[in-house]
Amino acid sequence: MHLVQEGDPRAFELLYDRHGGPAFSLAYRMVGNRVTAEDVSQEAFLSIWRSRARYQADRGSVRTWVLGIVHHRAIDALRRNLVHEKRRSSAEGIEERFEAKETTPGEAARREEARSVRTALEDLPDEQTRVIELAYFGGFSHSQIADMLEMPIGTVKGRMRLGLDKLRRTLAGVAA
Amino acid sequence: MSVERHHVQEENVGAYLLSALTEIEQRTFEQHLDDCPVCQDEVDRLRPAVHALPRSVDPVDPPARLKTSLMAAVKAGATEAAGEASRHGMARRVRERIAGLNDALMGMRPGVAWVAASIVLLTGVLAGATGLYAISGGGTDDAPPQVEAVSAKVDKTRVPNASGSLVVPADARNGAVMRVHGLPTLENDSVYQVWLERRGEVISQSTFTVGEDGEGAAAVTDSLESADAVMITRERAPEAKAPTEDSIVRVAL
Repeated sequence: MHLVQEGDPRAFELLYDRHGGPAFSLAYRMVGNRVTAEDVSQEAFLSIWRSRARYQADRGSVRTWVLGIVHHRAIDALRRNLVHEKRRSSAEGIEERFEAKETTPGEAARREEARSVRTALEDLPDEQTRVIELAYFGGFSHSQIADMLEMPIGTVKGRMRLGLDKLRRTLAGVAA
Repeated sequence: MSVERHHVQEENVGAYLLSALTEIEQRTFEQHLDDCPVCQDEVDRLRPAVHALPRSVDPVDPPARLKTSLMAAVKAGATEAAGEASRHGMARRVRERIAGLNDALMGMRPGVAWVAASIVLLTGVLAGATGLYAISGGGTDDAPPQVEAVSAKVDKTRVPNASGSLVVPADARNGAVMRVHGLPTLENDSVYQVWLERRGEVISQSTFTVGEDGEGAAAVTDSLESADAVMITRERAPEAKAPTEDSIVRVAL
């Protein structure tokens, strides 16, 4: 990361090689189609290149920093209504599927990690899982979620917090 | 900080971490966070759960062209920054640009390679001119080189599957590159034409076609200074003198 911060394109290429897959996967999960996911990923990595001097190792891993930027870019795209049509298509069950081939131990490990985190998420009470997924992956605000689920905003906020707390404890148990 | 205000803001911790607050709410919460150790602790306590969420996503392979176009843009910007670091090193800058160009072109599709070449060569010509008249600086410049991608607005009624972005290198005077996806192929006598709009004047920049994959890229050769927008229309080949239709893709600047 030090070389990236010094502006070395080759180091940045290695950073992309290491984190580009998870970044694209997150963008794809959020926007629901490959073309927009590609745009989101490109914008995010260009933003990472521009703001590389701001990365602080004591505030989290490079992976967390990269995925945080991708997440914000994907939310921007969702809120710009760039992908509403595509998301409707996804909801109708014709979402594109281009899952990575499970050819390396690294990919198998990522898939296994995904399964365990997803299980922890799905083990939450349904109403908590739903508000967390709508917010984090759907890019919806608390008031939009309250409208969709026809519940008070305070309830939505409370379920987000309770769900995150339970997820944190479950994952800490998994890790322990 | 009042207890009442704390209780109001404490309710927002989960929504804040999930990016579900409005911009105003987020700013208000962050202001509160600066002064509230209780909420800071709560945010720190719950943050690992949010950081775990992207790990729940099944891996999906990104297309190879993403890395190609990303690295072409980064190398163009990095080379430009290296050039700006010394006002005396024009010859070296040109060599670096050519080296960067060679690296960037390796393995690229012809259309993208041409665009990368346009960026690098344009940058070289204009940076050379800038170097001749530079009157300040001359040491190293620690500011990160800027390469920005600006999303385009698309007329979904005419090109429903299209999307695009304008990749702008560090110095907007050096032009830019328009990237598009999902455009339909045109008949033989038609091309996509890129225009720059500046103070009511519309100036032709370049033309391009797309392959069966619907992807294309084209250079904006004029400076973006004072420009209002970059846009794309469909025109008769070889190129029109003025747009004959409303833009199908537009980037407001």
